[in-house]
Amino acid sequence: MNLLDIRNLSIVLKSATNPILAVDRVSLTMKEGEVRGLVGESGSGKSLLAQAIIGVLDDKWQVDADRFHWRGKDLMRLSIDERKAIISKDVAMIFQEPMACLDPTMTIGKQLTEAVDGEQLSGYFWQKNRQRKETAMTLLHKVGIKQHKICLKKYPHQLNDALCQRVMIAMALAKRPILLIADEPTTAMESTNQGQIFRLLASLNQLKNMSILLISHDLENVTHWTNTITVMYSGQFVEAGTTKHIFEQPFHPYTRALVDSSPKSNRGLPAKSRLMALPGSIPILQHLPIGCRLGPRCPRAQQECVIAPKVTNYHGHQFSCHFSLKDSY
Amino acid sequence: MLIFTLRRLNLFIFTIFLLTLLSFSLSFLFPGDQLINISGQVNATPKQLIVLAEQYQTNNNIFQQYFAYISHLFHGDLGISMASQLSISTEIMSFLPATIELTLVALFIAMLFGIPIGFIAAINHRKATDNIILSISMIGYSIPVFWLGLLAILIFSIQLGWLPSAGQLSLLFEIEHVTGIQFIDILLSDSPYKWQAFQDASAHIFLPACVIALAPATIFVRLARTAMMDVLDSQYIRAAKAKGLSFKQIIYHHAIRNAMVHVIRDVGLQFANLVTIAMVTEVIFSWPGIGRWLIESIFQRDHTSIQGGLLVLSSFIFIVHIVIDFIYAALNPLARESRHGT
Repeated sequence: MNLLDIRNLSIVLKSATNPILAVDRVSLTMKEGEVRGLVGESGSGKSLLAQAIIGVLDDKWQVDADRFHWRGKDLMRLSIDERKAIISKDVAMIFQEPMACLDPTMTIGKQLTEAVDGEQLSGYFWQKNRQRKETAMTLLHKVGIKQHKICLKKYPHQLNDALCQRVMIAMALAKRPILLIADEPTTAMESTNQGQIFRLLASLNQLKNMSILLISHDLENVTHWTNTITVMYSGQFVEAGTTKHIFEQPFHPYTRALVDSSPKSNRGLPAKSRLMALPGSIPILQHLPIGCRLGPRCPRAQQECVIAPKVTNYHGHQFSCHFSLKDSY
Repeated sequence: MLIFTLRRLNLFIFTIFLLTLLSFSLSFLFPGDQLINISGQVNATPKQLIVLAEQYQTNNNIFQQYFAYISHLFHGDLGISMASQLSISTEIMSFLPATIELTLVALFIAMLFGIPIGFIAAINHRKATDNIILSISMIGYSIPVFWLGLLAILIFSIQLGWLPSAGQLSLLFEIEHVTGIQFIDILLSDSPYKWQAFQDASAHIFLPACVIALAPATIFVRLARTAMMDVLDSQYIRAAKAKGLSFKQIIYHHAIRNAMVHVIRDVGLQFANLVTIAMVTEVIFSWPGIGRWLIESIFQRDHTSIQGGLLVLSSFIFIVHIVIDFIYAALNPLARESRHGT
């Protein structure tokens, strides 16, 4: 059974004159215990998708989906409050810029104890406060912070980014989530700290069988840690499959370009020659091309591309392109 | 925290220094003889003038004159009033507490109503509540205070007769002057009609305090609204939502505290404005405060009183400023530390 099954999720930026379709019918499935990467350029709508899943988008955005199943339960049929209760119980999210995500006027200890779920505690109310503190301590140990006493008394600005992100992960773990959505958890971090955070996430995945949806703009970086990858471009679904397939045999021209543009594949290039990259940049929301949004930048684009291609499934490897690279391998 | 306190203290000393410099230079800038301006001795005989000149070292250079003036200030000697020939420091001590009382009550009322209303407006952003609050605050801000004061007296004192129109306390009550702050004096006194006096004093202060509070309250509404909207838009609120906290929890535990940090900072700035409004209101409500006294001194061309009153009133505003800075530091951990490079 799939943990999360989303089919054709669209997110519209509401506006009186012309509503903008920021995310256009994207599908996403996740199995239990899986680490899935969600990759795309900045502005490709991947953060929006994550925020729509967890339900923290404000009312400027309108979210529609053909199917939204969570562990076999159809969330579309439930009321907003019920949906929120289920999602906030089982799904946790960590964000980019962890320091900005912690309340600057409250100590780490207070914020962490606040995140502890009251239902997990046993005992009378006068015991609960101590239990909460103990839980907060063990949570910090779990994310590899040994000096819990010092850390609990600190304010967010007194810690560095990696520690803040660890605290964010500790908060996320407080609810014992089944799925953790990590929205670019290591941007603006040094590479040693990046490695620490990724290793921590990987160990949580292995030890606690926690599924992780890892959002990133860096395809190469993500490949070390993920089982499967979904690629998005400008709010549209591009390709999904196992990490190996995506990296070695991409079917979609966009994924091909992403893989080719990584420094690793450019290593054999002679000095002072042009690096492989797609021309142009991602379109802004106000001027989206019709049909396949990659069209204007795509090296294989033809007339049919003005009609958005349907998702094709080839041995579990999904892609949406009229002129895929499938036959070229 | 120690460094923070020392920095504020440092700032306080320097500001007071500049204020004394200003008031000292005023004695030269005002028309008339500098010695008479600074001492207030209008009816001094030539003999007394020689003694005064010796005291204020008018024959020496300007630095010595200034230090003589400063030493007079430190001895609590602000000179005597040109109009009444009474010591200015005793006059100020008898008038200042009433102003402190009135302005603090007004500030309290303004904050008590302004800030929560602003928060409510921000939470209901882009809804009818928000628009109504905003337009009412705009109207409140644009009403001139002298007109509002007269209108309030006309309606609540004369037509309805609910509240007294002038003074600090009804003449029926005999309260000993201890601290000068009426409420504390009443509580300290052993009069059998203590509570009646307390009620009467409350009734007296209510109308002027409300009149003063209106304009600052509307500013607080706007400040609180913007601050709250910024906070609600921030990342940590989104993270708190993702944590599964309810809207109430988010507002009470995270949003209000963070919004208050921004609002408190501006409260200090608004206080000077509030004191200015209070000075006008004191005249309208015949409140025995320093504002009315200062305005009267201006009319009487009482240069010595103007210098002294200016010095004391601005020191008071500055002290309130510093107190508010401390409250700000208590709320905001970021402000407590000495930041490098800023």
